[in-house]
Amino acid sequence: MGNTNIENRIRRLRFDHDEMTQQALAERVGVTRQTINAIELGKYSPSLEVAFRIARVFGVPLEEVFSYPESARQPSES
Amino acid sequence: MSFREKSAWVTLITLIVLSLAFALHLPRPWTLHPEPSGFMFHVLLIAIGTFIAIEVIAHIAIAVWSPRDANSPKDEREILIELKSTRVAAFVYAFLSLGSVSFGLHIASANAIGIAYLILISFVAAEIINYAMRVFYYRRGS
Repeated sequence: MGNTNIENRIRRLRFDHDEMTQQALAERVGVTRQTINAIELGKYSPSLEVAFRIARVFGVPLEEVFSYPESARQPSES
Repeated sequence: MSFREKSAWVTLITLIVLSLAFALHLPRPWTLHPEPSGFMFHVLLIAIGTFIAIEVIAHIAIAVWSPRDANSPKDEREILIELKSTRVAAFVYAFLSLGSVSFGLHIASANAIGIAYLILISFVAAEIINYAMRVFYYRRGS
């Protein structure tokens, strides 16, 4: 995987929710703190289920947590 | 660093160190026609036993350091990293083992013990690649 095109606002949302730590979010979502860190840094794209769990923790729709920019590179057709 | 990343580092370093230590005990010059040796068989057993002991002790130590992390199940990213690294290692093992046996039989005319060493090297090299890839993926993020 490496760097992903998907953008997220997890760090901002954590800050807005009583400065939730990555560890606290990880425990509520059911992943490791390192996975949350990798998602925030755009190094890892979570599964749909984990993405929904993250959105549910913050009580917002999925689109408010993750976005796929129009400028994202399309995979080349071969 | 997560428990499983530390675990990968421990196994990687242990494999490399013990492989080098075992190789240093092989009779020189290295040949694919070695004589049967009880000494080398004992060295191999000691290397395997040492590997197991180091793994157990080191993993207990890192688990004591972070017990919650050690007892938690693998999450999706850790499973993905394991699958990706194992896939690479499988290709390496298949290529090296078949290639080395073919080389040993048809080019080098190796004896049975020489063939066994080649297969052992292939397996160890594949495992080193396996854990090196895990460390790489953990450092990269996935």
